[in-house]
Amino acid sequence: MLLSRVWWPLPCGNGGALPPAANTRERGTPDASPPRCARREGRHLRRWGTFALDILLAAGFASAAVAQSPPAPQPKVTIGFVEIDGDPRHEPIRAYERLVLKAREHPFAGAQVAIAEAQALTRVLKIDFALERITVKSVEAVAPAVLQARQDRDIHFFVLDAPADAFRPLAEAVRGRDLLLFNATAPDDWLRRELCRREVVHTLPSLAMNMDAIVQYLVSRKWRDVLLLHGPLPADIATAAAFELSVKKFGARVVAKKEFTTGTDPREREQNNPLLLTAINRDYDVVFVADDAFDFARQVPFQTVRARPVVGAIELEPVAWHWTWERNGGPQINTRFARATNGRRMEGADWAAWIAVKMVVQAALRTRSAEFGAQRAFILGDNSFDGYKGLAVSVRRWDQQLRQAVFLSAPYAVVASAPIEGFLHRTNTLDTLGDDEPETPCRLNR
Amino acid sequence: MPVILDRRSVSIAVLATLVAGMSRPAAAKDTGLIFVSNEKSNNIIIIDPKTQKVIRDVKTSRRPRDMHFSADRSKLYVACGDDDVIDIIDVAKLEVIGRIPTGPSPETFAIDENRRRIYVANEEGSTLSIIDLDQAIVVHEVPTGAEPEGVLISEDGKIVYVTSEVGDIIHMIDAEGGHVIQDVVVGTRPRRFAATPDRKELWVTTELSGEVYIIDRDKFVVSGKIEFLPPGMRKSDVTPVGLVMTKDGKTAFVTLGHAAHVAVVDVPTRKISGYILVGKRSWGVTLTRDERTLYVANGFGDDITVIDVRSRKATISIPVGRIPWGVIIDD
Repeated sequence: MLLSRVWWPLPCGNGGALPPAANTRERGTPDASPPRCARREGRHLRRWGTFALDILLAAGFASAAVAQSPPAPQPKVTIGFVEIDGDPRHEPIRAYERLVLKAREHPFAGAQVAIAEAQALTRVLKIDFALERITVKSVEAVAPAVLQARQDRDIHFFVLDAPADAFRPLAEAVRGRDLLLFNATAPDDWLRRELCRREVVHTLPSLAMNMDAIVQYLVSRKWRDVLLLHGPLPADIATAAAFELSVKKFGARVVAKKEFTTGTDPREREQNNPLLLTAINRDYDVVFVADDAFDFARQVPFQTVRARPVVGAIELEPVAWHWTWERNGGPQINTRFARATNGRRMEGADWAAWIAVKMVVQAALRTRSAEFGAQRAFILGDNSFDGYKGLAVSVRRWDQQLRQAVFLSAPYAVVASAPIEGFLHRTNTLDTLGDDEPETPCRLNR
Repeated sequence: MPVILDRRSVSIAVLATLVAGMSRPAAAKDTGLIFVSNEKSNNIIIIDPKTQKVIRDVKTSRRPRDMHFSADRSKLYVACGDDDVIDIIDVAKLEVIGRIPTGPSPETFAIDENRRRIYVANEEGSTLSIIDLDQAIVVHEVPTGAEPEGVLISEDGKIVYVTSEVGDIIHMIDAEGGHVIQDVVVGTRPRRFAATPDRKELWVTTELSGEVYIIDRDKFVVSGKIEFLPPGMRKSDVTPVGLVMTKDGKTAFVTLGHAAHVAVVDVPTRKISGYILVGKRSWGVTLTRDERTLYVANGFGDDITVIDVRSRKATISIPVGRIPWGVIIDD
């Protein structure tokens, strides 16, 4: 039922798969096989092996390992990464059976990169960091797996790659316990507003933050009049609702709101034909599309009656990270990530998993402690972290959402980083995105 | 052959080799020319300080960043991050005459002419490469924390200090042994160094925490820090990167990145004595030898700002290439 894989900074007895460079580095040769190797995952292992070698050389871990044999026991901070096998959110989006439009991989690699970055600190801190990948079969299995890892393996920190549904039973199960969950993949606002739990930190931007980001951009360009198209899925309806709230917040206008259907049925042409859907009497500056399934959205650009840009699910999307981000060290992390994944482009959820692990490592570094209580206090306290997105990221005390910039990405460039210049806030401009303290029903850490 | 040497960096040993008649490609002329590396246009723009006009545009390998002269000023070395090389520019001819391979994405480096070595931080390789200057090959690699950046060699050449941007640590590296001796934790994203002339302190900019950390070199511990906040700016915009110190060790100039200012710091008291407005993402900063003029590279202004040090006023900005990284002067 429960698959548990431990990831070590050393290749797991898989020397044959290492590049030839391994043999030329006399101090880079791994000498010991860690106790639990992920032997069944050959493909991942090979990737990880190559990557681990980089890190091995990078971190000076090798020299430490050779110098002290066996290494002196030192405290270890293990971070659990929980994911669901067959999670539909990670199924590829396909045009036809073999044509993959979006691969939508699990963001585990983001956590891996962050744990690898931490290896350089093990020497300074005398604390080891490890990542344990926990794959479960269903949403219902998430909470028991977390509890078991807490009890059996003394894991306190978990990165959650799970849909919003998993959080209600999980939050009940962990209430008041000494653990901290990082929500890296669920943008749903109700997790931040109604669920509102002190055991959960949200590192992925909320839906409200994403919508505020895009509306700020539209308003900054004076593209205030919007034609809103949304699909029938609950996620589409939630997105449309969040978009309308943002529109109200920043003084834009929805001139018309229409629900689309997918298909080519001529009897439904008013709903399934982008030309007819966008042929309205009132003019608009831009078309916003809410389409979680993506199949309709990809057919809207250049199919509108008026020559108007399309934003939302396509063309100009609010994202937590983009592979073209060139500032604030972006190229470095994009390169590290690509190298760790055979060239995959880092996406928002990867970033959210990466920053979660990085926050734990920073907490250990700054508190000089391997103790959970001190680390949690640091993470939830008024401390900032380097998210490679310009303004330093930090946890909002009221709902434990990570305040951060949101990128507005075109396919090959980040068009803007929100908060957009000119949107001001009395304390931190990042709090112009999403639920500010007076706006949220969530009142944590009061 | 009249040779004018930079008193700040030349060593007796190098002087001796010069006197001994070791051949050099060209004599330095103390031209006063200003060299600006441009990350995105892949060139070095050269400015005549008298006319304040661009006089040459030298194409380099991709993403030129840190620059250093050879002690005799006949050569300019330029780290080019996207081609994993250091370009060598002949200062008399103003053209690229050679390339030295480095590790992945070299960013900043330092030259030890005594030992005939270059120490270069490979941003994407998480290593410090030690390059033999004469053979132009990497002879040793020292593993560092991720994204190493600032490199500074101690006066006796025995220690090399390197920052790790991701690790928030400074490595003290044994130059001979090629290994880390000690680490010290500083603020978020440490970038560049300056050493006080009394050899007691190391100043390090920490970009994301918006500070300069001061390290006691004997004990290798943090002995203080300076926070910056120019009037009207937000703390989050303050991203210090470049810094330079006067030869008397009294004044330091720190570029504040997105806060578009240079901070002037009184070194003995560690107090900020003023801010000078410059362009956006100001990083590279350098003083003329007479310390009357300060040049600042504005990464997001595609220009450099020229500052009159005495009046602490920006006098002119000069357009250069795209995303200027650093400035160095042949004087």
